[in-house]
Amino acid sequence: MSKDLLNILSNSNKDIDNQKLMDYLSGKLPENEKHEVEVWMTENEFANEAVEGLQEFKGKKDLQKYVDQLNKELNLYIQQKKNRRERKNLKENPWMYLTVFLILVFVIIGYMIIQQLLK
Amino acid sequence: MRYRCFYDCLKIDYFQQVTKDPNAHITDQELLDNFYRDHNNYWLGILFQRYTLLLLGIGMKYLKNEEEAKDSVQQIFLKAITELHKYKVEYFKSWLYMVAKNHCLMKIRDRQHMVTTEIKEQMAVAPAEDNSLSQHLEKNRQLELMNESLDELNKEQQLCVTLFYLEKKSYQQITEQTGFNLMQVKSYIQNGKRNLKLILEKKLNNG
Repeated sequence: MSKDLLNILSNSNKDIDNQKLMDYLSGKLPENEKHEVEVWMTENEFANEAVEGLQEFKGKKDLQKYVDQLNKELNLYIQQKKNRRERKNLKENPWMYLTVFLILVFVIIGYMIIQQLLK
Repeated sequence: MRYRCFYDCLKIDYFQQVTKDPNAHITDQELLDNFYRDHNNYWLGILFQRYTLLLLGIGMKYLKNEEEAKDSVQQIFLKAITELHKYKVEYFKSWLYMVAKNHCLMKIRDRQHMVTTEIKEQMAVAPAEDNSLSQHLEKNRQLELMNESLDELNKEQQLCVTLFYLEKKSYQQITEQTGFNLMQVKSYIQNGKRNLKLILEKKLNNG
């Protein structure tokens, strides 16, 4: 009890994972874990406002679907950006790629000549 | 009937199962450091996905519309990627919260054509550390002061703070026990905690 009294003003810095948060939103957590999430909310304005917002979603069972969809789109965007950058690099440095290509061609031709000479 | 309930539980579980983060062992700070080292957005992808759910909540909290909330998450991601390439961020979580909140306030302002309060970027500072208080005092003295401070709160705040922090009751249990609604309970706890800190600081300065 006395320890709890002293803990009121201290921040635990403990983070709650998304699974526990989702369970909290669907009312599946036991009282002690529910309390743990709520303490986290009082210590963290970001979490508090986010949970208040998430509780306003009508179809809470769709939340995970929305999250997965947003994550998929994020990854797609990052991949596209990476591909664009690679294409840009190719356009900006065509001579470097041409040089590499020519070196490879010379190596292959050289190998074939040596093989012919050895025969 | 019994099977139906079981089926419903399974169905809910299926929908609410969160995709496991295979990079859970890497901290946010490490991901950010990796990004600053090679400027590869791959690291940001992992980092942002940890906050998608919270950002969705922030969007909904301010914009009050599910579709707009989803759109806002995408826009916040894009903005955050652009900004992180421009300058170094120290406290990612606070910074992301600030970006999200500013974005939503801007949307509301655009929507209503009204001037709303901007949150300054300087707010992205380290989370306030209250621990320093406890280091300054002996434990018994602290307890005494906390007890006195708790007594000085108004009746509602005192009741909610005691039930929440000392008796470890959930919001729901407190609403049932006190008859206050959820918003009142949350507000009494938040304000009670803030007032408790102010009273304690006053006592420390005087004593």
